[in-house]
Amino acid sequence: MKRRDFILKSAMAAGAVTLPYILPTGRLFAATGSRIANHVVFCMFAGGVRNLESMHKADGNLMPNMLVGNESISSDIAPGMTSLPAPTSARLQTLGTLFKEFRYKQGPTGHFGGHNTVLTGRYDETVSLSQRPKYPTIFELYRKHSSPEQAALNSWWISNSLGPYPSLNFSDDPEYGALYGANYAQPASIITGMPQNPIQLDDVKLEKVAAMRQFMDNSFTTNVTAQDAGITNTLANRKRIEEFLRFEYDNAVSGQYNNFWGLSQNSINNDQVTVLFAEKVIKEFQPELLVVNMQDVDTCHQNFTGYANNIRKADFAVAKLWEAIQSTPGMANDTILIVAPEHGRNLQPNTIIDRYGRYALDHTSDDTSREIFCLIAGPPDKVKQNQLITQVVGESTDIVPTIANILGFNNEIPSGRLTGRHLGEAFY
Amino acid sequence: MQAFKQNSIGSFGLFTLLFALAFTSCKKEELYVYEVNDVKVNQEKGDKVNVKSQTEFIAIAYSDIFGTGIDRNSLDLLLAPYLAFGDQKLIEQMIIKSFLNVPGADVPTKTVMDADVTKFITDAYIKFLARKPDEFELWHFQKVLKDDPTITPDMFYFAMLTSDEYRYY
Repeated sequence: MKRRDFILKSAMAAGAVTLPYILPTGRLFAATGSRIANHVVFCMFAGGVRNLESMHKADGNLMPNMLVGNESISSDIAPGMTSLPAPTSARLQTLGTLFKEFRYKQGPTGHFGGHNTVLTGRYDETVSLSQRPKYPTIFELYRKHSSPEQAALNSWWISNSLGPYPSLNFSDDPEYGALYGANYAQPASIITGMPQNPIQLDDVKLEKVAAMRQFMDNSFTTNVTAQDAGITNTLANRKRIEEFLRFEYDNAVSGQYNNFWGLSQNSINNDQVTVLFAEKVIKEFQPELLVVNMQDVDTCHQNFTGYANNIRKADFAVAKLWEAIQSTPGMANDTILIVAPEHGRNLQPNTIIDRYGRYALDHTSDDTSREIFCLIAGPPDKVKQNQLITQVVGESTDIVPTIANILGFNNEIPSGRLTGRHLGEAFY
Repeated sequence: MQAFKQNSIGSFGLFTLLFALAFTSCKKEELYVYEVNDVKVNQEKGDKVNVKSQTEFIAIAYSDIFGTGIDRNSLDLLLAPYLAFGDQKLIEQMIIKSFLNVPGADVPTKTVMDADVTKFITDAYIKFLARKPDEFELWHFQKVLKDDPTITPDMFYFAMLTSDEYRYY
């Protein structure tokens, strides 16, 4: 080989190695860690679900879409169950790995504390309802440590209630915060009212408005903090989201949120509306990270049978979520679904009896209220299929490191930030 | 003599009394005028350190645009999506765009704006930001509005009502 050819070929080879490249997903650079999959949907089966009713089927198989088995529902509470469509596809348990004895090991078994832990990967004994998380959330870790940094449009936190839950989209950690937060949405409020009949501005005019606003903002910088404004989407993404929100509001007005999944209108609960909205986000935006929660099982404080029924409804919603993922180009066969409650419920009941003679259950940090499960389902070449782990393995703080591993940014998180581990048992 | 003396003393006393009264009771009252300089309710940029709550933002924007207070039901309807979405600026923009399109919104016409751009800009700054524009701001927007005939008053209002400064007080 001539010297000139050698130099030319060597330079081309070096360039091929070092130059950035466009990935099929549209990313300019690959994250430094390899990805298991390009999307994660984490469904918090929250509100306090006791393993006794979920994994151990003390009242029959209340989760027939997720769990194998046809154990019939206890006859005393069966009349209190809503009619739901029968499972139509494979049980999710067979499509992944089920950690039957997962644990929420520390901290008070309160809903917000439990959410805080699974979203930050840290236990917090002093969590406060009036404060944002102390530690960065999975959304912030994902957006900041992915390469390149990810847009807010790629991460969503969809919650079935307001209260303190909007604050979980970003933390007070000064190194993270609103700049890296998720698009928070609470569907029940969004579909009941949106500002209507706006002035119509085309893209050119919107750009001009943005330029004038930018000039004004540039002369008022002293007191503005990113935390005050909430999370920020780009101008183009804001336009897409606004159109989406208006479209979904119109769908709600036309009755679509009262008639879906073949459910009877009077049986639809807020968990199902929340998951339906998550489906719409999946279809519209194909986010890389979406977290959605359900909490209607918390009726268990005064109504055990209602709790059992809402576990069934939540199970059905998870199945629909899986169907939506698998029917969405770009996410089908490239998404890991994680399902886990935030905490369980007490072994001993309180004194409230429902109409079927069952005692209600609270959650006050006894050992049983720390017993939960975790299901990880995904493509058969990535997630170990039909694997059942019956020993006590895994805990709430492991979910964030696991998501970080799936999306390939685990190595970028500064050491000491997380205390859990990647649930490698579930993956090839 | 005795009678005269008594009458003289009585007349003198009466005269003295009247004299005293004339110079005391009828003394001209002094008029004190307490002059107070006009107070400008301006709030300069640096003084705006508090972020408006969501309720305050909606109520103040409504009042600024319509010149009247918003009713409780309308406020609650707008608060719901405001609380329910993480990108606060996006929802603020949606709210303001709707307000500006409601009949009764106090938005000058393009003709009025073009007739006196300086007044339009100054009035908007005072109305929404509670201060006059500084020289650079005035010069900049005079140029922008004069150079670009497609910019309408509602576009300028939309930009200002969704600016960072409007979010603070």
